[in-house]
Amino acid sequence: MNFLILFLGKLISKISTILRLGNGSTWPGHIALGLNPNFVNQILKNSKTKIILVTGTNGKTTTAKLLQTIFEKNNQKVFLNSSGANLLNGIASSIILKSNFAGNLNFDFAIFEVDENTLPQITETIEPDFIIALNLFRDQLDRYGEINTIARNWKNAYEKLKKTQFILNADDPQIAYLGEGFDKKSRYFGLNDPKFEYKTQQHAADSILCPKCGTKLAYEAFYFSHLGKWKCDNCGLRRPTPSLENFNYYPLLGTYAIYDTLAAILTTQILGLTDDKIEEALRVFKPAFGRQEITEVEEKKVQLFLSKNPTSFNESLRTINAGNAKNLLIVLNDRIPDGTDVSWIWDIDFETLITKNTKLYLAGDRVYDLALRLKYAGINAPEENIFEDLESAVQKGLNETSLSEIFYILPTYSAMLETRKIITGKKIL
Amino acid sequence: MKQNLIIGWLYPALMNIYGDRGNAIALAKRCEWRGIETETIMLDPGFSKENLKKCDILLMGGAQDKQQEAVAKDLFKKTETLQTMIEKGVPGLYICGAYQFLGKYYKEANGNIIKGLGIFDLYTENPGDTAKRLIGNAVFENNVFGKIIGFENHGGRTYLGADIQPFGKVIKGFGNNGRDNNEGAMYKNSFGTYLHGPILPKNPLFADYLVSKALGIKYKTEIVLKKLDDNLEQKARLAIAKRLSIGI
Repeated sequence: MNFLILFLGKLISKISTILRLGNGSTWPGHIALGLNPNFVNQILKNSKTKIILVTGTNGKTTTAKLLQTIFEKNNQKVFLNSSGANLLNGIASSIILKSNFAGNLNFDFAIFEVDENTLPQITETIEPDFIIALNLFRDQLDRYGEINTIARNWKNAYEKLKKTQFILNADDPQIAYLGEGFDKKSRYFGLNDPKFEYKTQQHAADSILCPKCGTKLAYEAFYFSHLGKWKCDNCGLRRPTPSLENFNYYPLLGTYAIYDTLAAILTTQILGLTDDKIEEALRVFKPAFGRQEITEVEEKKVQLFLSKNPTSFNESLRTINAGNAKNLLIVLNDRIPDGTDVSWIWDIDFETLITKNTKLYLAGDRVYDLALRLKYAGINAPEENIFEDLESAVQKGLNETSLSEIFYILPTYSAMLETRKIITGKKIL
Repeated sequence: MKQNLIIGWLYPALMNIYGDRGNAIALAKRCEWRGIETETIMLDPGFSKENLKKCDILLMGGAQDKQQEAVAKDLFKKTETLQTMIEKGVPGLYICGAYQFLGKYYKEANGNIIKGLGIFDLYTENPGDTAKRLIGNAVFENNVFGKIIGFENHGGRTYLGADIQPFGKVIKGFGNNGRDNNEGAMYKNSFGTYLHGPILPKNPLFADYLVSKALGIKYKTEIVLKKLDDNLEQKARLAIAKRLSIGI
């Protein structure tokens, strides 16, 4: 049966690539699982491939890319579920493409990005070797429901996994709480650096209540959003002590990317790689598409910072401010991958994070909502810089960026793909 | 003399989901642009009745279940004060969870009844996970403010009693329950609605109504507000109207 599935799957994938129907990334998996719901599990059970699931609201793709880089530079064979195809279909498709006709996967590691809402469904089928849980922020609530519900579903899923090693963010209370009662199978990463600390909380804060007893948490310091050094004065739950709090070298800018890096490092440390080997790999790391990725267009540098929810937006703005941004294009779409509700832009701290010397360009399906939000933050983008057409916005921004500057673009997910297509002239999905 | 208003924001730390802080921002800014001074008081759990009484306008947003429990515990201690203010006509905007909470009760899918404040004559039922959440861009029509535009996202279905009026009639979307064509509720100068968006920035007529009512009560005179340039507000409204194929 699986031979037939693999044969069919590979064939479909080939045809859709030839016909340029996107790259056909989830189709073969969809068909495979229809024919044999246990397909994924059966193939994985018979292979020596170690499986790593990466989940969380922000940072999945970057963390997966970091892991891939570290493994590959250390001569390990890796495959990922790519192109944001995050569901079981995507995983099944990856397996079809990467295994031979006998269903053998000749890889050391499989790294799967898993959406926060589908994690419990995935772990019903796959018992991974590692689960890396990065964070839990509000994101696309119109699709996913509320984060407390997600956290509860995760906790239930975790309790069923026997051999999985958890790599958890100690600074995110809901994530850290997942490891409570599972000391042996949980290891933590977190930050411990006054340089990144804030003493007050940013607005876009989610889980400020104790995940165990519901009391408001006390924080000694915040790193960003609700991530920080926390404890509950009521029930005594507190930030677990991280196994890893800092490292010599970080390849990406911004506090949020440091968390992703620490997560990848801790995982590879546990797998036996030395710090020297890890650092060597990180030094040649290239960002995943749209995530701080730099492209050269018309001899000018364009840098994309995928910004998909209030937290990632705030962090992107903070990061480009540190780079003294002169030209900034923000692109707001409201398609399914972006979340159809754009209310969240009111939770971004534009009031404090847009500086006077940044020239703004606005575009996207909901450009007027974006312009309105900025108006109420006291920031009036010039009318000629508010674009219904993305290509014109990109062109104007490029024209007005000097050769020594960087043209920064903060897009939502579908806007990132669109912008990237304009910039590189190359289709991604 | 310069006019001023005190905006009371109920539970900003706990009830602040879906960008509803935009409503507080909109009120403050639209006052500021007219030279009306505002102070926004954050009414976090444990706030005093005196602080609540000081407020000229009240705002309260929605929240996740856990946060809502903490809020309920606190607000039950001050129900009477809030009720007196609402009865006196203090303008208020209550979104989603707050709107439901002003009603008589919220019936969970398992039949469990959560008591509400009982100030609005309405109740809410959650049909459970099998029924779909009511999600999407939404427009309703109010006699005074015209088309109100926003985004709804709720599992609960709300039904109005005889002693309360709907805020408007559904044009696009689901409204209170997806059945009776009603959206929200209004009582005296208090408004309950499921619309996020947030509602006030994109519906400036409604935002200004709350401001003028609050000033009228405070200064005991009819207030005509200075006109503002709402060009951008209009463009944002038109963009959605066009997408939903409705006129505004």
